[in-house]
Amino acid sequence: MGEERQVMIETIDLHKYFKDQHVLKGISVKIYKGEVVAIIGPSGAGKSTFLRCINRLEEPSSGKIYIEGVDITSPRVDMNKIRSEIGFVFQSYNLFPHLTAIENIKLAPVHVRKIPEKEAEQKGLELLKKVGLEDKAHAYPDQLSGGQQQRVAIARALAMQPHMIFFDEPTSALDPEMIREVLDVMQNLAAEGMTMLVVSHELGFIREAATRVLVLADGCVIEEGLPRQLFNNPQHPRTKEFLSKIL
Amino acid sequence: MQTNQIRQSFYQRYREKFGHLPWYKRYEFLLPLSLFIILLGIFLPSGRPSNAIGWVLICTFIFIVLLWVVGVLTDVEKPRWLRAIAAFGLIFVFGFSFYRYSGARWDLFTKTFLNPSMMQGAWSELLLGLEMTLKLALVSMLISTVLGLIIAVLRSFKNPILEFFLIIYIDFFRAIPLIVLLVFVYYALPFLGIALDPYLAAILAVSLNYSAYVAEVFRSGIESIHRAQVEAARSLGLRSLQAMRLVILPQAVRVVVPPLTGLMVALLKDTALATIIGLPELLYKGIQTMIWKANPTPLVTVALIYLLVLLPLTRFSSYLERRSKKWVKSAR
Repeated sequence: MGEERQVMIETIDLHKYFKDQHVLKGISVKIYKGEVVAIIGPSGAGKSTFLRCINRLEEPSSGKIYIEGVDITSPRVDMNKIRSEIGFVFQSYNLFPHLTAIENIKLAPVHVRKIPEKEAEQKGLELLKKVGLEDKAHAYPDQLSGGQQQRVAIARALAMQPHMIFFDEPTSALDPEMIREVLDVMQNLAAEGMTMLVVSHELGFIREAATRVLVLADGCVIEEGLPRQLFNNPQHPRTKEFLSKIL
Repeated sequence: MQTNQIRQSFYQRYREKFGHLPWYKRYEFLLPLSLFIILLGIFLPSGRPSNAIGWVLICTFIFIVLLWVVGVLTDVEKPRWLRAIAAFGLIFVFGFSFYRYSGARWDLFTKTFLNPSMMQGAWSELLLGLEMTLKLALVSMLISTVLGLIIAVLRSFKNPILEFFLIIYIDFFRAIPLIVLLVFVYYALPFLGIALDPYLAAILAVSLNYSAYVAEVFRSGIESIHRAQVEAARSLGLRSLQAMRLVILPQAVRVVVPPLTGLMVALLKDTALATIIGLPELLYKGIQTMIWKANPTPLVTVALIYLLVLLPLTRFSSYLERRSKKWVKSAR
């Protein structure tokens, strides 16, 4: 592992304030190509905010963010171009309710990538097959279960052929029996070598698929390490406390 | 303490005997009241009363009937036929009192209001008026909808300076009465050298006025779509106008269509105000023919034409409202 790996995301001293609330207190991390990084931590630690800052759904207050070497905090950067390379999967799916599953998936490829309608449809059906929903192509989101909606949302993110995907608590709005089907899809993605940044408390998934775990508390990265190592032998007292609550 | 107990036991005994029905819903009250109503009805003056006692009698009669109707209608356990009598009785009493005591010459009613011979040669005039009304309404609907949509989309960008001016625009045109605007555009602007014919002036005034309302309706529609939808769209790399066009507006339109239809109905009605600047639309033509024939039948016809055009539209708008409620529910 001595060879130089490509840095996908680098944040340097990232701060975020909501009014006078200091949510992120100087986060500096590097994420390499092919890594599956899990972010855990107590609620209110700034996990979601951190993810949302990296593709600038929230504006970071200070600090630098480099995506594949491009400084995206610079005002001249084309954020739409950057965002189209980053898939984002939300906790509440956020499918477009007026479009069918397949229309949800091909919307961005057609209008952002300018891929012909036919080709996008073909690609979309392949993706639906990949997430196990080829028979639901023409269903509207409200006709799908939570787990199915989240899988469509993952397919929608994949349709842009992103270089990395962020998951913001993708299973925490789901009923227990639906969590597995979403995690399976994510696990397959991880196995294919996709760079993933996952905010999640699914320890089983993290053990199996994550290559690294970051522990966020009070807006700081307090500990990081391999999942097994970190779960079995946490160093920081706050990590111990947090893990004892969810294990 | 002592009296309280006695009172309680009195009510208890009363309720055990008669149930929990309040006094004005009981047959013991309603039946004698019915007799009283009939009795009083016999002694009512048969024409417009000449003295105060007559008026007092009439008012008492109406009051007592109201009491009876309330007693019957507020109790769902009363038989259906009785409740039907109460409902029709109410309408009848008011209608009949107006018929009897307004002092109108009812014998002249059909001859003045519904006189077919007075419509000879008037139809073509009224139809020309209807055409003008519809033309004005349709053009104004189109302009105000497009303008309102543009304003709402511009406002959604939350640019403080732009929003400041748009709010001034909206507030101004929502606050100013349409009839004042019409008169201003047609009679005052020529002093500035802007002379518009009545048709253009009416289109301008109605469109400006209604674009403000439409903008507010569209704004509320856009704001009703959850922020997460915008975020999902932006996270896919869609530009903000694309997100608006492909994600927000298609959803907002479904929310907006019922109130928008309501606005369009109101717009169609308000075109009648253009009479004041001499635009030959339906009402104007109706008034003209009324003067020409010295008979109000054409005006009654105009009213009926308005009803004929607008009733289906109002029905349609409430149908849309019911349907959109269903849609919104299923989307949750």
